[in-house]
Amino acid sequence: MRAALAQASLIRHRARTILAVLGVAVAAAMLLDMVMLATGMRESFRELLLSRGFEIRLAPKGTLPFDTDATIPGVSAIIATLRKNPDIREISPVLGASIHVLTGNRDVSGSALGINPSVQGDYELLSGRDVTTSDALVASDHLLRQLVARVGDTLNVATGYDPQTRTYSGQRKLVVTGRVRFIYGATDQSSAAMRRETLEGMNPQSRDRASLFMVRVRSGADAEQVRDWIDKQLPDVTAISIATAIAQVDERLSYFRQLALILGAVSLFVGFLLVTTLVTVSVNERVGEIAVMRAIGVSRSHVVEQIVLEGVAISLAGAVLGLALGLVTARYLNTILSAFPGLPMAIDFFLFQPRAAWSALGLLIVSSIGAGIYPAWRAASLPIAESLRREAIA
Amino acid sequence: MLLAFLLASLLAQDSSSVGRSPNAAIRRQPRTIAIDDAFAERAHLKVGDRVSISVAPGMAGDIVVVGAIVKRGADPSEVARGDLRVRMHLDQLQAVAGYGDRVDRFAISTTPAADIPRLIDRINGVAFGFQAYRSRDIAVETSRTFQVVSRFHRAIGIITIVASSVFLLCIMVLKVEERRRDIAALRLMGISRATVMRAIVIEAALVAVLGSALGVAIGWAISLVVNWHYQALYQTPLAFSIVTAPTIAFAVSLSLLLGITAGVMASLRLVRTPPLALFGR
Repeated sequence: MRAALAQASLIRHRARTILAVLGVAVAAAMLLDMVMLATGMRESFRELLLSRGFEIRLAPKGTLPFDTDATIPGVSAIIATLRKNPDIREISPVLGASIHVLTGNRDVSGSALGINPSVQGDYELLSGRDVTTSDALVASDHLLRQLVARVGDTLNVATGYDPQTRTYSGQRKLVVTGRVRFIYGATDQSSAAMRRETLEGMNPQSRDRASLFMVRVRSGADAEQVRDWIDKQLPDVTAISIATAIAQVDERLSYFRQLALILGAVSLFVGFLLVTTLVTVSVNERVGEIAVMRAIGVSRSHVVEQIVLEGVAISLAGAVLGLALGLVTARYLNTILSAFPGLPMAIDFFLFQPRAAWSALGLLIVSSIGAGIYPAWRAASLPIAESLRREAIA
Repeated sequence: MLLAFLLASLLAQDSSSVGRSPNAAIRRQPRTIAIDDAFAERAHLKVGDRVSISVAPGMAGDIVVVGAIVKRGADPSEVARGDLRVRMHLDQLQAVAGYGDRVDRFAISTTPAADIPRLIDRINGVAFGFQAYRSRDIAVETSRTFQVVSRFHRAIGIITIVASSVFLLCIMVLKVEERRRDIAALRLMGISRATVMRAIVIEAALVAVLGSALGVAIGWAISLVVNWHYQALYQTPLAFSIVTAPTIAFAVSLSLLLGITAGVMASLRLVRTPPLALFGR
C-alpha cells in the first residue's frame, strides 16, 4: 500500500522524478568513484608489493627502493646476518644500474637489474627462458621494441662510458633469452635483467653491493617484528615493511585521498539536498491529499513511511544507475592517472572492490532516509482541519 | 645533484651524521654549505654551526660550516617528495661522494643572439655518452606529472559540471512548478503567455545570478582554505587553487545558461497547460 502510493506520487511527476534520479545517479557515480579512489590506490599498491610474497625491503639508509643511485655495500655480510633470523625464509638482493645497448651507430639506454633468478621477485617471464646462464639477459617489450630485437638475439651491452676517451666501459655480449614484464616497472620503461654476478662483473665498482634486498618471511611470522630486528642488526640500511611503504606512499599521495574525501562528501551532500528538495516540494503540493488521508484515519507513521519511501526509491534508482555510470567514469579517470610518469603499470588508482560499492550504496541510503525525514515530519504533523480548510479555500 | 639529495636524506635520517662532530676534520678551513630552511628546522641548525657530512652514516666526513639557510623556491616537481637539500661546492661534493671528475649535468648560458638549435646540434654531433637539450624541452618533459594531474582535474571538473547542471535544472524546474497556482491566476487575469514566460525566465535568471554570486564567494573561501592547508602540508609557497576572472565568468555564464534553460523548459510546460488544470480543477 505504502509502496504503491509512493510509486503513484513519483509517477505523477515523471519529468521531475527522472531529473531527480539523474541528479542522484551522477552524485552516486561521483561518490562511488571517490570511495574507489580513496581505498583503491592503497589496496592496489599493497597487492603490488605483496604480489611476489616479499614483505620487507631493505634500501640504502634514508631512501626508498630505487629512489636514488645509492647502493648498499657488503651484500654477503648482510645476507649472513639476515640468515641468523629463523623467521626469514628468502632473501633476494637486487642491483640496479644503467645500461647502454650498442646497436650499429645507435646507443639505447635503459635500466638493468642484477638478480638471483631462483629468488627474484621483480618480473614475470612472458616467453623464452630465465637468466640461467651468466651471458643471459631478459628484457621488457619496450626495450626489445626500441632495439628491434627478439629472443635469441645477441646484444652488445655496456654499463658506462668515458667521454674523454670516447669508449664504453663494462661491455659484454649478452643473449636475450626471454621476454619479461617488470612488476614494478612503468609501461614506457626500457628495462632488462641479468644475473647479479654478471652485472657486477660489468661494473666492478658495484661488486658485493646491492640497491635493494627483498625479504620473504616465514609463514605465520610477524613481518613488523622481523623489520624491527633488521633495524637493530643493520643500522646502516632502511628496512621497509609493507605497512611502512604504504604509509610513505599515503603521505606522498595524500592529495588524492583528501580530494576523494572532499568530493565524496560534496556528492553525498548534493544527493541529499536533491532528494530533500524534491520530497519537500512533493509534500507541499500534496498538503490537501495528506490531510484527507489523515482525516480518514491513516496513521502518522503510515504517512511518514510513504514519504521516506519516496526518497529511498529515488536514491535507489539513482544509485543503480550511478553504479554503472561510476564504473565507466572510474575507468576513464584511471586511464588518465595511469599516465603518471614512472608509475608501475600494475597500479590502479580506481580499484573496484565490492566493499567500496556497498559503502557508497549504504551512504546513499542513509542520506536518502535522512533526506526524507524532514518533509515526512512536516507532513505527519500537519493540522488536519486547518489544512483541509486552506485547501478548500485555495 | 642526485648525490646532494642522497646526502641530504642521509643527514636527515641519521642524526649522528648531522651532529656537531669534533673529529675527522679533513680541511683546516672548513668550507661553507647552504641548507634548506626545512632542513635547518628539522636538524636544529643555524648559520655558523659546524657539521660533518658523509655519504654514509658513521663514516668520517668533511667538516663544513652552515653558511646560509635558504628558502626553497616554488618547484611543483618537488611537491610531496619532502626531500631536504644541501648545496655545497662542486669539488667538495665530488670528493666526499667519490664521484671523481664527473657531474650529472651542465647548464649552459647562451648569448641573446645565439642560434640555439644549431648549437644543440653541434654539441650532440660531438657528444659521447651525453646529450644536449633545450631547457624548454626538459621543462615540458618534467612537467608530465602536472599535465596528468591537470587532465584529471579537468575530467573531475566536467563530471562536477554535469552533476551541478542536472541539480540546477531539477531545482529550477521544481521552483517554477511550485508557482503553478500563481501562474494560473495570472493567466486567468488575462496576462499573456509571453509575459508570464518572460517573468519566469527573468526570475530564474535572477536566482541563477544570486546563486552564482554566493557560489563564487564560497568557492573563493574554499580556495583560501585549500591553499592554506596544502601550503602548510607540503611546505611550499605554490598556489594549489586559483580563482581567476575567466573561471568566475565561466561558472556564472554556465549557471545563468542552465537557469534560463530550466526557466524556459518549466514555463513552457506551465503556459501550455490550461489555467484551470493548473488549479487542479
